[in-house]
Amino acid sequence: MWQFLARSLEAAAIFTFAGLGELVDQRGGILNVGIEGVMLFGATLGFIAAQNSNSYLVGLVAALLIGLLLGLLHGFFSITLGVDQVVSGMGIWIAGLGLTTYIGNPYTGPLGMERIQTIGGLSPFFYLGVVLVVALWFLLFKTSLGLKIRSVGENPSVAEVSGISVTAIRYGCVAFGGMMAGFAGAVYSLYYNPVWNYNFLMGWGFIALALVFFSMWNPIILQAGALLFGILWQLSLNPQLVLPGLLSRYVWRMVPFAITLLVLILISTRWFRTRWGAAKPEALGRPYLKE
Amino acid sequence: MTIAGYQVGLKQRAALSGWQAALISLFAILVALVLFSLVFILDGVNPLAAYREIFSYAFVNQYGLVLSLSRFIFLLLSTYAFIIPARAGLWNIGMTGQLYVGSLCAYGVVYALGGKASQSVYLPPLLVIPLMMLAAAIGGALLGGLAGLLKGRFDVNEIVSTMLLNFIAFWLVSEMIKEGGIFMNPQGRSESFALPASLHAPTIAGIPFTVLIALALAVVLKFLFDKTRIGYQIKAFGLNPAAARYAGISPPAISVLVFVLGGAIAGLAGYHYFAAVPGVYKIARNYSYFGDLAFYGIIAGLISLGDPLAAIPVSLLFGGMSNGGRWVQGKLHMGFGLDYALLGLLMITLVGFQFFYRYQITWQKEEAHGDVAIPG
Repeated sequence: MWQFLARSLEAAAIFTFAGLGELVDQRGGILNVGIEGVMLFGATLGFIAAQNSNSYLVGLVAALLIGLLLGLLHGFFSITLGVDQVVSGMGIWIAGLGLTTYIGNPYTGPLGMERIQTIGGLSPFFYLGVVLVVALWFLLFKTSLGLKIRSVGENPSVAEVSGISVTAIRYGCVAFGGMMAGFAGAVYSLYYNPVWNYNFLMGWGFIALALVFFSMWNPIILQAGALLFGILWQLSLNPQLVLPGLLSRYVWRMVPFAITLLVLILISTRWFRTRWGAAKPEALGRPYLKE
Repeated sequence: MTIAGYQVGLKQRAALSGWQAALISLFAILVALVLFSLVFILDGVNPLAAYREIFSYAFVNQYGLVLSLSRFIFLLLSTYAFIIPARAGLWNIGMTGQLYVGSLCAYGVVYALGGKASQSVYLPPLLVIPLMMLAAAIGGALLGGLAGLLKGRFDVNEIVSTMLLNFIAFWLVSEMIKEGGIFMNPQGRSESFALPASLHAPTIAGIPFTVLIALALAVVLKFLFDKTRIGYQIKAFGLNPAAARYAGISPPAISVLVFVLGGAIAGLAGYHYFAAVPGVYKIARNYSYFGDLAFYGIIAGLISLGDPLAAIPVSLLFGGMSNGGRWVQGKLHMGFGLDYALLGLLMITLVGFQFFYRYQITWQKEEAHGDVAIPG
């Protein structure tokens, strides 16, 4: 049972990293629907780098770098070129699916490295996730930088007039978002399930995206949602731990996705909507072009 | 910005004519192909030789051409599944799940009529084949309609919902065809039972008859978009949902409608590949490969700017290239996933080129007057 819980918390950490990146993106007004693609890139290149250098550090740094690069690419498309953010995000996701399938294929199989040391039975990534959640909550709501990020996502024209560089803040947000998604992917492929296989993520990025909508753009709620879905995901992989013999394993694999859909419906109810509407970054998804 | 004595600037396009759009799209594809040749160079393969192999297999070789055309039909249907909601400003990336459910429904008809027992069971094709197609369309329409309803009634982001439904449908197929699922092959393989020979779809010169449906849909959709009231309402809603509401258009109804239509066509794509393509006639073990292939429909839909007729040559090109890419990776001993790499490169190039649909580059000699605009 403890092992089940530990695995759940580690799954939660992956949702947390990817979700936090997307949350900061969206707080700055940029929607990146392609985090699954960034995660695939981070996971694949991190895996290859770690295996070739026999160093986890190298793998994680590689994942951060490719994440940064893809975040900036999304920024270039959506901030500088003013391309529709959904088109650009979809592009990054499909590019991730397509290119990592080809790049990673020769590395199909287990990572074959000694496991990362745990602290109190949990990977260091879980603790790192919690620390980041608190730090980002503080940054977003208690510092002037956080205020700038939020105002850029809320009303970029007003922010610009008050002397904030919308472009710089937004680039900062997408850079951070990309790095976090790349990192989340590497945590998956280097620790959570260190085996490379084609399109192995199977929806983690899209669930993380849904979690951000659910979180009302608050890191603390995001963490709670990530914990919930970490447990749920783990349960869908090992249903026999809780309900042996009930439903087949394939039906269980559908459960996290079905519950995500239910949650998305739930947050559309009027009670939730009035609170949600107040939290939603007003300029989310709209390109800002200076005239 | 000044480059070599020219004043280079950007100008927002007022309007984009058809030929300009076609030219930009052509440039985007060419740039993607140049990028794709880097993949060959990195693998130590001469890209020109590789392209010659790809295109000659895809469009000249007799066996390759039939496979290319089968993929073309599949991609064209996937493209339409994307285009219809896209006209209304909505993203259907759920063609994958819709085609899975569509194929399951088509096989459900055969199963209900006792077609699982043996490949030699006789079922009247004139009756059962239309039933299978109808079931496939309904199955796809239901899954699509669900996403449309969630969007229209609950404002659930359709990208997220269609993607979540893709995964649900993916596991549903596994449930049905693997580990004792009711559609599982009686010989115990992790694929569906084989279609009885009597239900193998008719072919025209080796090409599944579904080609006629796909091409007829091009005309029907063109007519629907350009000449009917519903087509106008879909377009108006896509351009400005708020204004459309004042014009008496019901947003939930439009979003359900476009997703039902798109889903039904995606369901037919599932019927086409798993029940009409010669040599397949089963829901294959690697069905997710075809699910991923359907994502080419997004690219083809974007490149053809939602025009059903323009989608035909684009789908033909992509169908041929993905088929040729798959073949050349075996022939030249390259890694698996060459067609996936092409998919990714095409997509990311196209995103970059989106810019040129909205802006044009102007350049002007420092001392001279008059704009010279290059298209693209």
